[in-house]
Amino acid sequence: MKIFAAAALAFAAATGAAVAEDFPTKPVTIIIPYSGGGSTDLMARSLAIELQDMWGQPVIVENRAGAGSMIGTAYLSQQKPDGYTLLVNTAAHSTAPAVQKDLPFDPKTGITPIGMVATSPYVAVSGAGVKSEGFDKFVEEAKERPMFFATAGVGSSSHFAAELLIQQAGLPADVVHYSGGGEAQVNLMGGHADVYISTTASVMPYVNNGQVKALVVLAPERFELLPDVQSSGENGVEGIEIDGWLGLFGPGGMDPALVERLNADMNKAIATDRFKKVLEENFVVAGKTTSAEFKEQVEKEMELWIGLAKERNIVAQ
Amino acid sequence: MDIFSNIALGLEIALTPVNLLYCFLGVFLGTFIGVLPGIGALAAISMLFPITYHLEPTTALIMLAGIYYGTAYGGSTASILLNIPGTSSSVVTCLDGYPMAQQGRAGVALAMTAIGSFFGGVFGILVLSLFSPLISNSALSFGPAEYFTLMVLGLIAASAITEGSAAKGLAMVVLGILLASVGMDPQSGIQRFTFGTLDLMDGLGMSALAMGLFGISEVIASIRTKTDGTTATVTPHAVSMRSLIPTRDDMRRSWMPMLRSSSIGSFFGALPGTGPSIASFVSYAMEKRVSKTPERFGKGAVEGVVAPETANNAADQTAFIPTLTLGIPGSATMALMIGAMMVHGIHPGPQMMTEQPAMFWGLVMSFWVGNVLLIILNLPLIGLWVRLLTIPYHLLFPAIVMFISIGAYSVRYSAFDVLTVAGFGALGYAMRIFAMPAAPLLLGFVLGPLIEQHFRRAMVLARGDLAAIVERPISGVFVIISVLLLGWSLWSTFRQTGKAKLVESEN
Repeated sequence: MKIFAAAALAFAAATGAAVAEDFPTKPVTIIIPYSGGGSTDLMARSLAIELQDMWGQPVIVENRAGAGSMIGTAYLSQQKPDGYTLLVNTAAHSTAPAVQKDLPFDPKTGITPIGMVATSPYVAVSGAGVKSEGFDKFVEEAKERPMFFATAGVGSSSHFAAELLIQQAGLPADVVHYSGGGEAQVNLMGGHADVYISTTASVMPYVNNGQVKALVVLAPERFELLPDVQSSGENGVEGIEIDGWLGLFGPGGMDPALVERLNADMNKAIATDRFKKVLEENFVVAGKTTSAEFKEQVEKEMELWIGLAKERNIVAQ
Repeated sequence: MDIFSNIALGLEIALTPVNLLYCFLGVFLGTFIGVLPGIGALAAISMLFPITYHLEPTTALIMLAGIYYGTAYGGSTASILLNIPGTSSSVVTCLDGYPMAQQGRAGVALAMTAIGSFFGGVFGILVLSLFSPLISNSALSFGPAEYFTLMVLGLIAASAITEGSAAKGLAMVVLGILLASVGMDPQSGIQRFTFGTLDLMDGLGMSALAMGLFGISEVIASIRTKTDGTTATVTPHAVSMRSLIPTRDDMRRSWMPMLRSSSIGSFFGALPGTGPSIASFVSYAMEKRVSKTPERFGKGAVEGVVAPETANNAADQTAFIPTLTLGIPGSATMALMIGAMMVHGIHPGPQMMTEQPAMFWGLVMSFWVGNVLLIILNLPLIGLWVRLLTIPYHLLFPAIVMFISIGAYSVRYSAFDVLTVAGFGALGYAMRIFAMPAAPLLLGFVLGPLIEQHFRRAMVLARGDLAAIVERPISGVFVIISVLLLGWSLWSTFRQTGKAKLVESEN
């Protein structure tokens, strides 16, 4: 009887690992917490196509937009942590909780970070009103004429990145909020606001069209895909070590073996030639992290943004 | 001349069998979706978006664009026949369209809207073809200050939409503005009236409000009055082909409104962030103001049906100007269009006309093809739509409520949005009981937040200097026009009251 019980227990434990082996046996849903057509949406859809080919199961994409990606994330936190519901989000995942305190889930335990899909440093672009080329000259110009940093909305990653740069570089600048990156960049082109900071995927199309100029990357060193753009680090600005990443998440409480399996599959998916083209078009590099590294980075950034929100008096609910 | 070679190039691409087929599919689907209340272009294009991965980029765009401007043709059908708007930009068409249907002139109303839609579409395409670079450069110079003064002008201009008691109209506009304040304050991040829910953080949806306030309330009101099981007031044999043809009088009255509304629609369509809804309000109000007999509006004036439909079609066409020449989406639907291009590595922008002439002109010429297909499709279908009225209400209305609910849910997969529609339906019904007009509420809801957001942004950029907002050239012009318009409205009101008093005293 005891042997039977022990065997049953061992079998059950092995089944846990076996579940990770069989996964997936039915369609998987990937939630995109933004409305369709944006760069995040397109990259997530490309990832979905890769995973679909890899797994042989349909991977369905659902757009659940709202509340700065928190509506989709809240929905994710309510799903079963069996790996069949996943979510792709940008660094907004770590900035939004810094301004929204009444979330219906715990940002640390309610969501499991699985892996980083792609990353790039944040890029600051300047519009028609800024005459300088290069960050060093920009700092000079900013002293004569206090600048306006446009953001895509209160609590967005563009907002936090702008506040960080202003603080660390000691710029006499203010932020002005818009409803979305598109509106912000239009105002840049028209010369009404001066600078906008976002991921390369969001701004490079307009830089390549010549509509805005790439001013500086927010990183200690220059970005390999943008070798002609200065970095904040080389201009003596310290303390900026953040990334504009795109990550894969699952509901909280996922089995670690399943997380590793998904992380491995995701890393395989982003290494395909087809996805490499997507990465190139968006001027981002593949994530290539383990789930533990990614989780650490997400939590580190959450702390950073909460601290920045307090220092710069960004409204925290 | 360069333009002719571009047109030739575009026609060559637009008229290939594959593109023709997808154009037809797109406009047909678009019309059908426009007719269904509640489900709009955004839902359809979102659902069909994956098709862009499997088609040539131009072909996919032609189809998606066909759905987009096709809904503007079909949206008036339900507005006229059932007093339920088919799309949010067809709300204003209900005001005169339904009275016309009640007078037995449904066929004429449908025919005039089809013709007006075609006129507006063609006008928009011409503007798009000839003036895109000029317009997009001008649109860039519209900053927050210019948008603010323009929206104020729009509010003053569209205020003519109210009928009856001006106090009630004003109260409804204010209520609309209050409802629009729900959500996160865009400049400071403070939550307003959200009661802690995430669902309200982005505010109440415009589509949910329009469908609930006009659609669901109409269903509720009709159920009350039609409990004896009668069917429509229009029976099939009353709708002969003869009655579908507009009279010469109708055509005479309509062509100037068509011209004016096309201009207004093209203007608002080309500005990112404003669109067919605002265009339809302002053009209706404009026609009412310049008309010699404004009292006919709201009771079945053909101009009141032609104006908004022409404007919203023109706006839908010129919405492609910032999308294609700046790469900036003016609305969520346009973001999907840009996404469809980006999937294939094409980044719309100022270089698009020179580097991707085949796609640009192929698309523009497909708009011509699409509009022609639509007018050919829509005119004969009028007889079919009018027969919709013969479906017993106890079958028709549950279907309508179902479509509205599906449409509301499909935006964000959110049950909360469906409840919002129901809530606004109840509000709309309560407003009917108290004879409060609903159109001003929608006007306030649409324009109020735009006015606030742009004003506060302009103040931040001007560092609190109010005069700086007014002193800019374009804003200054809008301010002057607003003041003049306000003055003229007041003066003509006093003159009307003066005349009435004179008539009274003479008697």
